Amino acid sequence: MKFVSTAIGGAIIGALAFGIWPEMWKSYGIMGGWLASAVLVGICWYMNHWLGIISNEPGRIWVDQGWAVCSAGIAWGMVRFGEQFFQALPTLICCLIGGGLAGIAAAHVKKRNPRFQPRDAATEVEKIEEVSHV
Amino acid sequence: MYEWMSRYVDAIGMSPASVVTTVFGAFCVAFVVIICWGKLVEDFGPAGGFIAGAIIIGTFWVMNHKLPGFGINPEGIPHPDGGSKQFGLIYQGFRGAGPWADMGAAVGMGLWVCGLCETRKGERRLLAIESVPRLTAAIAGGIVGGVIVGLVGWTGANLFGYK
Repeated sequence: MKFVSTAIGGAIIGALAFGIWPEMWKSYGIMGGWLASAVLVGICWYMNHWLGIISNEPGRIWVDQGWAVCSAGIAWGMVRFGEQFFQALPTLICCLIGGGLAGIAAAHVKKRNPRFQPRDAATEVEKIEEVSHV
Repeated sequence: MYEWMSRYVDAIGMSPASVVTTVFGAFCVAFVVIICWGKLVEDFGPAGGFIAGAIIIGTFWVMNHKLPGFGINPEGIPHPDGGSKQFGLIYQGFRGAGPWADMGAAVGMGLWVCGLCETRKGERRLLAIESVPRLTAAIAGGIVGGVIVGLVGWTGANLFGYK
């Protein structure tokens, strides 16, 4: 069931993003795109990640709704405009490289930045010791 | 160096400059989402998620995906090869002839890699394997949604008498 609900959440964010975003941009320019992101990503984040329609149990690796937006963009372009998948590959690979680098950098920043340490004093000492061993 | 890098421009459909801007744009949005989104939700609850959706994704959408034009009824600046010029950081392949590659992939990949780096070394493989079916389900759902929205272009309904 959790896979079905994950797929439903992905389908909804994908359909919303590419049904509405281009039209909002065409109608209202930059501000329309900004507004679309506020409305669509706001409500879809609430459904998918705050209420947990995309299944992410605590302690597991996070699966984001961004994956669904990306695959929907490629599928939408292929069906609607008859484009070919390999033409999106270079940009897609560059995006994945940039995102992966950001993930590694952010993990290291989070490990060392004091604002990301647990508030509880006892666990904080443990954490600092753990970090110093690394 | 530049000549060597430019040799495969036609084959991969993007110039070295586009590679740099794309990787940089993807890095920026993924880093800000990983660092700020969780903290905003921690501080403000679900309202923090709405704020983050607007100010993080909206602002980085302008940086990464904007097309030229200003205000209501934007008119694109024409590209010599046809279509409109792009000013966003994430380059759309083959001068925009390829399907839309969204920055969502960068955010998803960033959060996935960050989660992988934060787990202990012995558990990484198991957790990665555990996340693959969920990842596949999310991507498959996105494909279904994208295909169905794309079908709208083929219905050809003629509404309100417009021609």
